[in-house]
Amino acid sequence: MTTIQQQPRILGPGINRVDGPLKVTGQARYANDFSLPGMAYAAVVRSTIASGRITRIDTTAAEKSAGVMRVITHENADHLAAAPATFIKNPQAPLQDDVIRYHGQYIGVVVADTQQNATAAARLVEVEYELHEALLDPHDPRAERIKDPWGEDTAWGDVRTALKRAPVMIDQTYTTSENTNNPLGLFTTLAAWDGDTLTLHDSNQWPNMVQMVVATMFGVPEDAVRVLTPFVGGGFGAGLRCWSHIPLAVMAARHVGRPVKLELTRPEMFTGLGHRTASFNWIKLGATRDGRLTAIEHESLTTLSMEGDEYEPCSSVSCSAYASPNVTTRDQQVKLNIPWTNFMRAPGDSQGNFALESAIDELAWEVGLDPLEIRLLNYAEVDPKTGRPWSSNALRQCLEIGAQRFGWSRRNPEIRSMREGHELIGYGVAGVSFFWYQQPCSAKVIFRADGSAYVRSAVTDIGTGTYTIMAQLAARLLGLDVEQVEMQLGDSEMPAGAAAGGSGLTAAVGSAVHDACGRLVQKFVDLAATDPFSPLADVGIENVEVSEGRLYRKGDPTRGESLARILAVHGLDELAADGSSTPNSPDELGMTPAGARGARFVEVRVDEDLGRVRLARIVTVNDGGRILNEKLARSQILGGTVGGIGMALFEDTVTDMDTGRIANATFGDYLVPVNADMPDVHIEFVGEPDAFNPIGVKGVGEIGLVGVAAAVANAIFHATGKRIRSLPITMDMLMD
Amino acid sequence: MTTLIVNGMEHPLDLADPRVTLLDALRDRLGLTGTKKGCDQGACGACTVIADGRRILSCLTLAAQCDGREITTIEGLESHPMQDAFMRHDAFQCGYCTSGQIMSAVALLGEDRAGSDDDIREFMSGNLCRCGAYSNIVAAVREVARHA
Amino acid sequence: MREFRYERPTTVAEAIRAVSEDPEADFLAGGTTEVDLMKDGVFHPDLLVDITRLPLRGVRRNGTMLQVGALTTMEELAADRTLMERAPFVREALLLGASTQLRNMATIGGNLLQRTRCRYFRDPAVAACNKREPGSGCEAVNSVARMHAILGASRDCIALHASDLAVALVALDAVVHLQSEQEERSVPLTQFYLMPGDTPDRENVLRHGELITAIDIPLPPEGIRSTYLKVRDRASYEFALTSAAVALTMDGSVIMDARVAMGGVGTIPWRGFEAEEVLRDAPATPDTFRSAADGMIHDTFTVPGTAFKVELAKRTLIRALTEVTS
Repeated sequence: MTTIQQQPRILGPGINRVDGPLKVTGQARYANDFSLPGMAYAAVVRSTIASGRITRIDTTAAEKSAGVMRVITHENADHLAAAPATFIKNPQAPLQDDVIRYHGQYIGVVVADTQQNATAAARLVEVEYELHEALLDPHDPRAERIKDPWGEDTAWGDVRTALKRAPVMIDQTYTTSENTNNPLGLFTTLAAWDGDTLTLHDSNQWPNMVQMVVATMFGVPEDAVRVLTPFVGGGFGAGLRCWSHIPLAVMAARHVGRPVKLELTRPEMFTGLGHRTASFNWIKLGATRDGRLTAIEHESLTTLSMEGDEYEPCSSVSCSAYASPNVTTRDQQVKLNIPWTNFMRAPGDSQGNFALESAIDELAWEVGLDPLEIRLLNYAEVDPKTGRPWSSNALRQCLEIGAQRFGWSRRNPEIRSMREGHELIGYGVAGVSFFWYQQPCSAKVIFRADGSAYVRSAVTDIGTGTYTIMAQLAARLLGLDVEQVEMQLGDSEMPAGAAAGGSGLTAAVGSAVHDACGRLVQKFVDLAATDPFSPLADVGIENVEVSEGRLYRKGDPTRGESLARILAVHGLDELAADGSSTPNSPDELGMTPAGARGARFVEVRVDEDLGRVRLARIVTVNDGGRILNEKLARSQILGGTVGGIGMALFEDTVTDMDTGRIANATFGDYLVPVNADMPDVHIEFVGEPDAFNPIGVKGVGEIGLVGVAAAVANAIFHATGKRIRSLPITMDMLMD
Repeated sequence: MTTLIVNGMEHPLDLADPRVTLLDALRDRLGLTGTKKGCDQGACGACTVIADGRRILSCLTLAAQCDGREITTIEGLESHPMQDAFMRHDAFQCGYCTSGQIMSAVALLGEDRAGSDDDIREFMSGNLCRCGAYSNIVAAVREVARHA
Repeated sequence: MREFRYERPTTVAEAIRAVSEDPEADFLAGGTTEVDLMKDGVFHPDLLVDITRLPLRGVRRNGTMLQVGALTTMEELAADRTLMERAPFVREALLLGASTQLRNMATIGGNLLQRTRCRYFRDPAVAACNKREPGSGCEAVNSVARMHAILGASRDCIALHASDLAVALVALDAVVHLQSEQEERSVPLTQFYLMPGDTPDRENVLRHGELITAIDIPLPPEGIRSTYLKVRDRASYEFALTSAAVALTMDGSVIMDARVAMGGVGTIPWRGFEAEEVLRDAPATPDTFRSAADGMIHDTFTVPGTAFKVELAKRTLIRALTEVTS
């Protein structure tokens, strides 16, 4: 049959998004766009302390307020069952006790006839607290620390001795601030009970996860809960858990006996959906005088909420990026009275990469090597941890081609050597070795007698292009035009889908679609075999091909039948097949899944007097394995780059150390890049289809972000001679 | 009774509660959910609509203030070349900011401010795109402006 | 947002009467600050009197004066040809002051009244705010404050006046025309704003029920060299960390007259009388500019987050002066 392996590395320049027409006309419907007859509106009440107990909560005024139907607090909330974990914990049900664990925690919900009435009444709930001292400082010795939280601390060789003997050593601390995902779409849950069944229109990245958690909490079977997420206004990791507003909306709907819509406000998006951890990275590098690494020690500390759970192995990047005979990596978490920390586009990698790639740059200056050369000199040809080959790895090409496109050779190696007017000019580079996480996934493919085909999986398209690339992939595998194939997703009743996270969805659902298409073609072959008049009666699947809706003998397109005819002959309306995928095992394959690789080249302009940083241009070259749709893949890298610019220069979720309140929880105060911040961006893909999954992809949703911050910091050093080891880099750090 | 003229249609509205913003009226009363709420406080541009020929933020405009004014929303565009250009240049990802971006871009053409990429970037900066499609948005606007 | 009543009178007198009669009433123009504050839950009028359709809109030149109706939008004023030619830095302040959408809504009168962006003022979860609850204290002083004032500030209040336009207009000695039930009066913009002192809740001389009807902008002499330089983290769509409005009359390389004001630094738009004194009749040299900057920025009150703004503000002014004289 037609296999993906026979297809080119880049499947054409890329078609337009198939959901584009809906999105440019305002017809794509997000959770908050749905309304139901009799629907009521909810508004949350949040704590104004970070640690303590509620001693009194008075809802009298709120209940008397216009249009209010119900006020729910811990005093009258339903008792809900414990929230089950996925690969990570979910928040426990809200309103189950009087304990306050962070500023902004939900302590009540008001349901009213209009949003205006609900919001106004929520402000009328009076609360008194017993205030406890909040732990807010990551370095507070009283704060609980979790060592080796994921059992991934790594050591090989003898780092201590190697460092002692190293002629050159770098020993520095790199910090990154807390960032907030801030997808533009306000997360919304519209909950509607019908007897014991529940329908949710919900913003998330994993409908089956929400379904499972809500069903468990409310003690109903999973198939009694349906979660619909055809579109979601961005996620960047924010939708990978079942956040507390979801059960709150479900509970509220049960209390008032009608559908309830709970739409978070922007400030609530800062406390209610998690945010990127702050990180502290302590790095020691040992090297020879000519710049060859002899030891890497990378320790990290990241922030964690009191009852939270988070996977942010910042130090892991140091296990795979460079060849070093001696490596130690250790991670720790510290529990604080802060809102949940959570995945945000490239968790762990983004912070750890900033630290490691800054340190490598410092080493280059220390030994007098070109920062590009030192990265090539210490290139990891095989997985340095296991000695296994990579499933594919084009990092060297990323660096070399990127340098060419950027004009790295025009760089004057001296610091403060390039300027124009008030501005110092600097060039910086960073390499990226990225990990991705694949989950099991299933999909169904259906071919109908009218020539149309449908692919179904309970996944989401958070803007990454799943609607489009899965339709393209199925069309390729079934020999159909892309217009004939419709990808359907975002419904928990469809075949169980994987999370749209960890850069793993394309591999997961793509492999499932690949499997389903293979099985569907097999079914057609089997059907044909039962028809003695079929020109395909006696061929096996290995000897057929499909194109233009026809199945035919390999090498002889005249001997075959159309798929539609096979159905007609057998009196069938449609034929369907289920497929699934599970991640391969590195042990079985004898190779290390390389994940995407990349290189960033950045030109910065630093106003010497004012300290203002402007990015002039960025070259970002990435190895994403097989690229299913280059246009959309480029958009993923572009978006990641913008996220990286935000992390490098702007984004900082600030906590008041007195109160634990997030001090800048609005779009006016928390700065994300705007259009005017954009440099020229050159995007290019290199590499080969990856050997780790059948379709050869690596996933490019996150890697674009990683490395931007380090390249910017390295460029700023080249421009100014100032090494900034904390993010974001702001002008006060650069004013002389 | 307040009358909103939205996309050429008159909509009489009972605004006994004047807290209803233009954005809420469009979305909750008229079912025109193409206009999006991203911050509800004038800091993201997702709710951009055109009122009497000028782009405004519907989240900070009370519906009552719009009595008799002509409002154009994304639903009121009739196959505008900007929509096609946004698709061809992949000027969006999740699509949530897209209505606001397109309304802003359409108004920008009328303001004669799409002369250079720098101008497009500056005068489109009131519309956040968290997916980061900015360069593609500039490409789409540039193309339509050149052919206008 | 609490419930309120909405009225849209058709005459100025009716609007003023409506607000005057109700101590909890206020005028509503573009709404870009007011509706925002109501959503934040820190402003609770029980009557909003919509003045957007009153005949107070338009720009007229009267000799050396530009008379601007209070309800003229920022975008409309920015498009005025006379302003463009005679006081381009005011136009720059307008364009750098907000996104186009906001400029189409915000009025000139309203812009002068825009409230601080201080998140301690704007978040009712913060208990201590002298501006919101006189006598309750100031939490911002003890917290993370970057976008805050260093001039006119004290332990009682460090809230910054965030307008760009007002900075340019105080430099030009604009005059605000006010109308109430009792009288019509005119106040120079330099005397319009009140230093927070012991009453940070009182930001200007407006009395309840008094309406800004017009703003007179005295046109500077032809041939001035001017700029509005705004320094901020983002390249656009952000309030100023520091800004400088500078308008100089030059004779060769000697400064004959100077108008200087700064934003991003003061609890009110900060006119630089002392800096102007330094600049007048002085040669346009780096030494002169540094002296002017020292004259502009002194007696500062800083917290750790704003300490860098002392030097940044000086360099901002020096840069602005350097740019307009080179």
